[in-house]
Amino acid sequence: MSVSTVGGSAGIAIQQLVGMRAQFDDLQRQLSTGQKSSTYAGLGLDRGITVSLNAQLSAIGGYDSTIANVGTRINLMNTALGQMTSISSNVKAAMVQANTTGNGFGPSVAQQTAQSSLDQLLSLLNTQAGGRYLFSGRATDQPAVETTDHILNGDGSKAGLKQLISERTQADLGADGLGRLVVSQPSATDVSVAEDSTSPFGFKLASVTSNLNGAIVTGPTGSPASLDIDLSGGNPNAGDTVSLRFNLPDGTSQNMTLTATASSSPGTGQFSIGATPADTALNLKNAITAGVSTLGATSLTAASAVAASNDFFDADLNNPPQRVNGPPFNTATSMTAGTAANSVIWYTGEAGTGSARGTATAGIDTSLSISYGARANEQGFRAVVQNTATLAALPISASDPNAAQLSAALNQRLNTNLSGAPGDQTLTNIATDLASAQTAMKAAKDRHSQTSATLGDFLQQIQGVSNEQVGTELLALQTRMQASMQTTAMLFQTSLVNYLK
Amino acid sequence: MSLTQALSAAISGLKANQAGLALVSANVANANTPGYIRKTVSQVATAGNDTGISVNVTGIQRELDTYVQRQLRVENSGATYADTLAQAYKQLQDVYGTPGSGNTLESVYNSFTTALQTLSSSPDDPAARSAVISAAQLLTQQLNQSSHSIQALRGDAELGISDAVTKANQAMSQIASLNLRIAASPAADGATATLMDQRDTYVDQLSQLMDINVIKNTDGQISIFTNSGIQLVGTQASKINFNPQGMMTAAATWSADPTKCTVGTLSLLSPNGSSVDLIESHSVRSGKIAAYLQMRDQELVQAQSQIDAVAAGMASALSDKTTAGTSATSGLQNGFDVDISGMSAGNKITINYTDSLTQTAHTISLVRVDDTTALPLSNDATASPNDKVVGVNFAGGIGSVMAQITAALGGTGLVASNPSGNTLEVLDDGAGNIVDVTSVSTTKTATSLLGGSAELPFFTDGTQPYTGATTALGSQSIGFAGRISINAALLADPSKLVSYQTGTAAGDSTRPDFIFQQLTAGSLQFSPDTGIGSASTPFSGSISKFLRQVISQQGEAADSANNLKQGQDVVLSSLQQRFNDGSSVNVDQEMATLLTLQNAYAANARVLSTVKDMFDTLMKM
Repeated sequence: MSVSTVGGSAGIAIQQLVGMRAQFDDLQRQLSTGQKSSTYAGLGLDRGITVSLNAQLSAIGGYDSTIANVGTRINLMNTALGQMTSISSNVKAAMVQANTTGNGFGPSVAQQTAQSSLDQLLSLLNTQAGGRYLFSGRATDQPAVETTDHILNGDGSKAGLKQLISERTQADLGADGLGRLVVSQPSATDVSVAEDSTSPFGFKLASVTSNLNGAIVTGPTGSPASLDIDLSGGNPNAGDTVSLRFNLPDGTSQNMTLTATASSSPGTGQFSIGATPADTALNLKNAITAGVSTLGATSLTAASAVAASNDFFDADLNNPPQRVNGPPFNTATSMTAGTAANSVIWYTGEAGTGSARGTATAGIDTSLSISYGARANEQGFRAVVQNTATLAALPISASDPNAAQLSAALNQRLNTNLSGAPGDQTLTNIATDLASAQTAMKAAKDRHSQTSATLGDFLQQIQGVSNEQVGTELLALQTRMQASMQTTAMLFQTSLVNYLK
Repeated sequence: MSLTQALSAAISGLKANQAGLALVSANVANANTPGYIRKTVSQVATAGNDTGISVNVTGIQRELDTYVQRQLRVENSGATYADTLAQAYKQLQDVYGTPGSGNTLESVYNSFTTALQTLSSSPDDPAARSAVISAAQLLTQQLNQSSHSIQALRGDAELGISDAVTKANQAMSQIASLNLRIAASPAADGATATLMDQRDTYVDQLSQLMDINVIKNTDGQISIFTNSGIQLVGTQASKINFNPQGMMTAAATWSADPTKCTVGTLSLLSPNGSSVDLIESHSVRSGKIAAYLQMRDQELVQAQSQIDAVAAGMASALSDKTTAGTSATSGLQNGFDVDISGMSAGNKITINYTDSLTQTAHTISLVRVDDTTALPLSNDATASPNDKVVGVNFAGGIGSVMAQITAALGGTGLVASNPSGNTLEVLDDGAGNIVDVTSVSTTKTATSLLGGSAELPFFTDGTQPYTGATTALGSQSIGFAGRISINAALLADPSKLVSYQTGTAAGDSTRPDFIFQQLTAGSLQFSPDTGIGSASTPFSGSISKFLRQVISQQGEAADSANNLKQGQDVVLSSLQQRFNDGSSVNVDQEMATLLTLQNAYAANARVLSTVKDMFDTLMKM
């Protein structure tokens, strides 16, 4: 607006030319930048929408990068889960083979398999995605589990699984290896089996049944429980049996059946009928003692290892493992809570109370988020690690006469536990959870690519320019400018001054 | 002797021709001089004896269309106003950046929320944490920068007013002195016409600066008034005083009260010594000065309060924790207990109750105020339109606080008491059953990064926490956009973005999720001072939505200012064209006049020579 400072009509003509030049420059800018305006003012009424569209597009961009990032993590978790499943199958196969193989010492082969499998399992549970531990719950900056060596052998003053098993075995077997039972004869014709104390350790008397002729069987009663087989009514007949049933520390139970025989050299599970009920009672007592001793070295040892392992693995930073209250361990009568200072805590991740999946969430769309967290101490993972570790940890010596039986008792338990009880979480359950998160992400991603295409088009319509349109406008403006300049020049030339002589 | 008469008539003709020629040459020479009005000769025939007639030049006439001139001056004010406003808005638009580029407030805000999304999915990642911090830094810098730019524009407006006032004073004193000289020269000669041309130029200048009303007096003088009727120029000129302030801040505002006014104000000192405040009397309504005043005192203040609201919204959304009271009863009276310890200035206790007779819901907001000179608070202290706001001074201990609260609740039927410690118990009237307390809650600003909850003081006001406190200087939010910064403790330890208490796991996304949620979806109420929403229905929505409104409103304002300017330019151009057609020099026309004068001169000379011949004939006899 500088009209009054430039004189006459020339000013107005020049102003118009300047205006056209500015328009020309703006069109040129539009053509080179592809943007309609360099300010919001120039965008027109839809300028407010561009703010919303940009916000939406940016949010979608954020969601997409989250999906890509989380997708990688879930893929890694799935890979780990797949490998754990196959390791679990391998361990099972090795255990089956241990009991049937004829080559070498089966149990030790299975144990070696278990040891290397445990290595693999633990390193899989410590899988990282970009420095983030995937199976540590919320503590993604910490490894999920301890090393194989620490778990099995302990870490300095912290006890490992082997030590816990050893303590528990001592507590369960007692000093005499009879599983904390006392087999005695209150009278010459009477055999009594009693628990040595009210403790969680050793054999627990469940029941006794008998069809021994003339025998009176009572119990188990009392606390500590005891049972009594009174043969004072006369000798049993050959083939009569008495069955004792014991509950073992891992929750299983075990029968011991003794059959009366007339032979003076009874086999395993038999006792000789003596001349008098008193002789028979002594034979019965010895047979019970021998039977209990064998069961102690096999089933009870296996069950004890499973129980110790269960305690060891049922622990996290907030709940250190339960340990035998000792030493001395072989006379211990109670469990006590360990501490983080004296026991290795195998699971080093976050130990919260909420759902494991909820420990990692990702917003993948407005008000839609998926949960894909995992803790290595979830039942599904723990079952595999625990049973593999137990197999690797329990010492079975080739020179032990009961080695095969012990191995069978252990393998049978571990095999069952690896398969899990009905209703227990398995690796498959975890994989299913992750798969549903993946499905949700895929759906969200598809939605995003459609939405962002639509929104991007809309934004381009508001902010962008069509090259064809701007080009045409430029040409038209150029023509108008040239015409205007030419006529202005003519106007200035056409003056009477030029024609006066 | 008629020959002598013919001779003198011819000589008078030659003189008149010469005067005309002089004017043609003056007109052509000044064809491009601003303000030059085309002059013509007024000549009359004079009679001597019975037959002798000669010509006499009586004066110089200005070819002026006064009607168009008056219109032109009105539009001149309007066009300058529109032009100045459009320019200022254009500069303000630069504050908001280029759409689609990375330097706009919205794109910086979006980068911040995107960084938060990444942090939500990788809370343990140090890179994600520092990405959030650096995105937040960019955002605070952008806000600081925007605030500084807006204040710089206000400073420019202040200087613009100062310059305009200097020019106006010059024009006014020139007009007054020209008035005197014109009155002193009685003849309508060329000198007077030139003086009038000069005076018109100054009036034109003045009309660009402010809207004026020009009254022509009988003796050729003019008087100039503002449109509100205050005289600017008569035989003497008034003087406009302006006291520009060197430093412009967001807190500096104009006020009619000189003790509170912290920007320059316009006062008119008339020759007789009286003084009028031109801003208070709304005397300047158009022209450059009005445009600058409007930008300085309204548009830019509003733009500042908009980005202040964004800054304050972000800070409060992340730091304010609202805790509902626990139920309490005493006999038949029901109500709630709240803990009022740890409240900062600006934090509030909200009491909602229902009048059982009319079933009307009421809200009382008790706001902590530390600066007692700010008391009592107005109901506008909170953005909510429906609450009664009472400022409470906490300095006197719990007893004094309880007394103030009891006074605030007076007449409502509610009973406040202090059962123990810092607990405030608000109960209804029990058996009376006139009022029911629906809820009581406290809103406190988290001041610790490890406060045990997701809320955190992410942003601070310089080194102070932002609590929205009201002091005698106004709300803490004024100019906050220029001061907002990231909590230094958070800068030093970005892990606090995740860790909200001792022992928070590295992968715990509670806090990142909260921050993201608050910034994108959390609903806030915005003060009507921002020009968005009204006092009865304040704008309520997320910060992104508010940002959209801001950009939309500012863009619209700039666009319409530009449209107004273009419209005014067209009007002014066409008026100027009309004025020029009538009043400016047309060289062709002058050349034609030149030819006529040349012919007339030749004719007069011819008469002279013929008379000489006739005298010669007589003499030879």
